[in-house]
Order: sequence, then structure tokens, then C-alpha cells
Amino acid sequence: MIKLDTLSVTFAAGSALRDISLKIAPGDRLGIVGESGSGKSLLASCLMGMAPDAATLSGTLTIDGVDMSDADEETWRPLRARRVAMIFQEPMSALNPLRRVGDTVAEPLRLHFGLSRDEAAKRVAELFAEVDLPNPERRARMFPHELSGGQRQRVLIALALACDPALLIADEPTTALDANVALQVTDLLVDLSEKRGMALVLISHDLASVARSTERVAVMYGGDIVERGGTDDVLHAPQHPYTRGLLAARPDPQAALRDEQGKRKRLPTIPGNVPPLSGLAQGCRFAGRCALERPDCATARPVPHGPRMLLCPVVEGAA
Amino acid sequence: MTRLPANFLLGAVLVSLMVGLAALSLVWTPHDPTALDIRNKFADPSMTNWLGTDKLGRDVVSQLMLGARNSMTVALVAVLMGGSIGVVLGLLAAGIGGWVEDLVMRLADLSFAFPALLFAIMLAAVFGPSLSNAVFAIAFINIPIFARVTRASANQIWTRDYVMAARAAGMGTFAISRDHILPNIAAAIIVQATIEFAVAILAEAALSYLGLGAQPPAASWGRMLSEAQTLMYLAPELAIYPGLCIVAAVLGFGLLGDGLRDITDPRLVRER
Repeated sequence: MIKLDTLSVTFAAGSALRDISLKIAPGDRLGIVGESGSGKSLLASCLMGMAPDAATLSGTLTIDGVDMSDADEETWRPLRARRVAMIFQEPMSALNPLRRVGDTVAEPLRLHFGLSRDEAAKRVAELFAEVDLPNPERRARMFPHELSGGQRQRVLIALALACDPALLIADEPTTALDANVALQVTDLLVDLSEKRGMALVLISHDLASVARSTERVAVMYGGDIVERGGTDDVLHAPQHPYTRGLLAARPDPQAALRDEQGKRKRLPTIPGNVPPLSGLAQGCRFAGRCALERPDCATARPVPHGPRMLLCPVVEGAA
Repeated sequence: MTRLPANFLLGAVLVSLMVGLAALSLVWTPHDPTALDIRNKFADPSMTNWLGTDKLGRDVVSQLMLGARNSMTVALVAVLMGGSIGVVLGLLAAGIGGWVEDLVMRLADLSFAFPALLFAIMLAAVFGPSLSNAVFAIAFINIPIFARVTRASANQIWTRDYVMAARAAGMGTFAISRDHILPNIAAAIIVQATIEFAVAILAEAALSYLGLGAQPPAASWGRMLSEAQTLMYLAPELAIYPGLCIVAAVLGFGLLGDGLRDITDPRLVRER
């Protein structure tokens, strides 16, 4: 349904996405994980045709067999909301403070389906009920500041669902929510995807919610997909040094807080920081932070290999 | 309830006074403002003529009231016309971007190269002196001002997440500008409109003073000023009254605009 083939995005400062190839079929639930600056959100905006103006794209992006790589705004507009929809990180700022939330959700319905005001209002109430907002009619007349964070995120999910998209991209939908509400929202997304047969791309750095809600996962670092595969396989048997580091850096609530000498144990971290765009290596982008680094890693571009399309020449790929 | 800023309150009082006078003149003036009474010229203030009469024996209070109406009408029409064109241009510039934005903004820059009043004088001189031409001239100089304010505020709103969300929902530039941008920049535009109202009143008075605005016998503060100028030694009060009215109106709208800005702009941290 949606196919990316060696999609790259370059800014003046450097390349931000490098040869991303990805297939998303109807009903797929794909997680994309990686730390801030790995290109997750940029990838999402490419899927919506909303990459920044300063970006140069190469490679191909096809939606329903149509090549959208060079499509302009007018070609994209009818696809948005109807084929691909998106929900955003910050439910606080993703709603216009001066509009009733019902009107915001009614907008795409009236625009894409030409519904009348009353028809749209009825549909909005149905959508609000579908995302488990209590009292849908009353909620629809409220302004964003009258709703809690979780409710706002539900409104945004309703907005994204309004035109029955085939794919919903959720860009860190739970980052701004507290843990309990985050769990509810993630579960809601999975439910909706199952009920509607809608594909879901969940972008997150919360490995737990990715594990809980997706079937496949792609791990990104520095604009590369370094490893991909079944969510369980990748999260339980990570192969790429970066994925291993990422998983090792998770706090384990069962582990002892102090070691034998009674000293407080430190959480393992990946040394260093994500380099800026301009400082990314020609070869493997993880070079410089990697425990398994070989002398030629920084210069030789790694080739994806094995069933996981592993982007590391040092590690032997396995299923 | 927080206390309203002093400039807002003073401005509101002056503005209500002027608007009240203008509104009252629609239904009632003490005398017919154009009725001549030569025998009664240069009359001192009295119970019949509260501020006396001018060189042709016309009642000064009635003329001032008519002048207020004239100023308000000119300013209102000019700011509405120039403002709406400027706002639309500003929204287009911010929404479409690219060469449209460059074109609109460079034209605005160009128009700022001319002193606004001089430009209005030029326009009025080219198209002939009349009140409607003065209105057009004042409206015209308002276009770039509003285009700039609108574009600057709109560009800020365009980066907001809810605009991204609207784009992701397939809304086009036009719909987003109407439903999301305009309501969120309305405060800035209203503030600007109030301030430009003051400028428009001053411009109308200046044009009428130069004979390029209201034509006799229509009453206008600027024209009253220019008629009184030749009689400064004989009857200085005839110049002082319209002068004070202009000062009060301009000051009133200026203060009101500043006060509104203080109230609506959260970036200004004030002590309350």
C-alpha cells in the first residue's frame, strides 16, 4: 500500500535520512524507535508529504501504487486524512485554542466528504464515542483548554480518524501524557487499528509501548534504519550494537538498586551524543559511539544484510 | 478581574466622547452648522452659541460636532478598506510564501519609502481634491501597514502544531488562513486598526487643512483650522477648538490602541 524505496532526505547541513526502504501493508502495525534526532519524525512528515521546504528528497515514495515522490501540495491534499492521517506529540498545542474541538474535527469531514454542518456534528459525536470520550456531544462544544491532556489526544485521534485513513501515523503520541493515560491511548490506537483494519505507524522512544502495540519494529539511528524485524524478535534478541545499547539503557524495575558494595548502580548508557547533521559519518553513523567499532566503520558505508536488514558489517545477521 | 491599564481607560473615555459627539450630530446639533448669520459673526460664547461663532456667524459647537462625524466616518471607511485589503494581502503572503510573499513585502517596503502623508497628498492632488479621494488616499497608505502586521503575525501562527494538524487533515492554504490563522491574529489586527484610526484622523485633518479633503461647506476639523489660521490674531479660539478636538481624538485612539495591545499581548510582562 505504502512503499518507500531508498528514500533519502538531505538538508544543506547534511543528509537526514539515508536510503530508507519500507513497506506498509493494510492492517500493519509498525513501530519506529530511536532517540531524538534519528529522523523518526522527519520520516513521518515525508509519509504525509509534509517534509520541510528546505529538504531535498530523493528515492521513491508510492502510495497505492502512485508515485508521490515529486507530488506537489495539491496532489497530496486529497490523500491526507483519507489515506494517511497523523497525530502529533503535543496534544496541548495541536488544537486551535480558539475553536471548539467539535468544529476542528468536523473540518476535514466537511472538506473531504462535503457533509452539512448537522451531518458533520453527528459524525463527530460518533467519532468521539469511538475514541472513548464520555459525553461526546458536550465535549464537541468545548474548547481545548477545557479538556485534559488525554482527552485532547483522543480528540486528535478522532480528527485523524475522521476520514477513514488507511494508515495512521502516531508521532510520539504519548510523550506528553502521564504513564497511565499513555497506556490507555496506546491501547486505543491498537484497538482502532484492529477494528478498522487500519495500518498504524507508531513512532516512539518508549520501547514498552512499542512492544505492547506493534508487530514489526524498525530501529533508526542517524537517519538510517539499522535493524528491523518482528517486534518480539528485535526487542528480545537485538543484534545491532545500537539496538543492544538502547535496550540495555532501559531501567529494569526488578533489578537491584545497589550492587554488592552497597553503591548505587548506574544505568548503562550509550556513550556520546547523536552527532549534529553536519557531523554524521560517511560510513556507519553509529561509529564513534559503538563498542564493536572497527577501524573502517566510519568510512565504509554498511550494507544491509540478513533477514533483519541489519546495518552492521561486524555483527553476523541471524533471524 | 485584573485592573485595566490607565492608557486604555483614558483612551476609552476620549474615544467615547468623540464617537458620542459624532453620533449625536446625526440627530441633533445646537444650530444648523452651515447656517450663516453675518450680523452675529465672531460672537463670544453665550447661552445660544456655547463656543461662539466664526467669521460667517456659524455656530462653532455644531461645526465641531459635524467635524467629529466627518473624521470618524473618513477614518472608519479608510481603515476598513485599507485594512481589509492589507490583511488579505498579508494572509496571502504568509500562506503562499515564495515569490508571492516576496512580491507583496517588497511592494510594502517600497511604499514605506514615501512618507505616508506626502503620498496621500500626492494621490489627492492627482485625483483631485475631494473627501472621497482623501478616503481612498488614506486607505491606500494603510494597505502596506496592515499587510506587514498580518504577515508577521500569520507567519508565527503558521508554525503552530494545530496548523500542522490542519494540514495533515488535508486542509488547504485558504481554509487554514480563514479558520486558524485569522482568528488567532485578530487581536494584533484590531490593535493596529485602532492605532491607524488615530493616524487616519490626523491625515484627514491634514488633507482638509491643505484643501485636499472636505470641501466647503462641509465641516471638517482640518478645514476649520485652515479658515481660522488667517484670523489667528483676531480670534485665536477658532483655531484652538478644532485643534483640541484633533488632539483629543488622535490621543484617544492612540491610547486606546496602546492599551488594547497591553491587554492582548501576553509577551508584554506588566506589573498589575
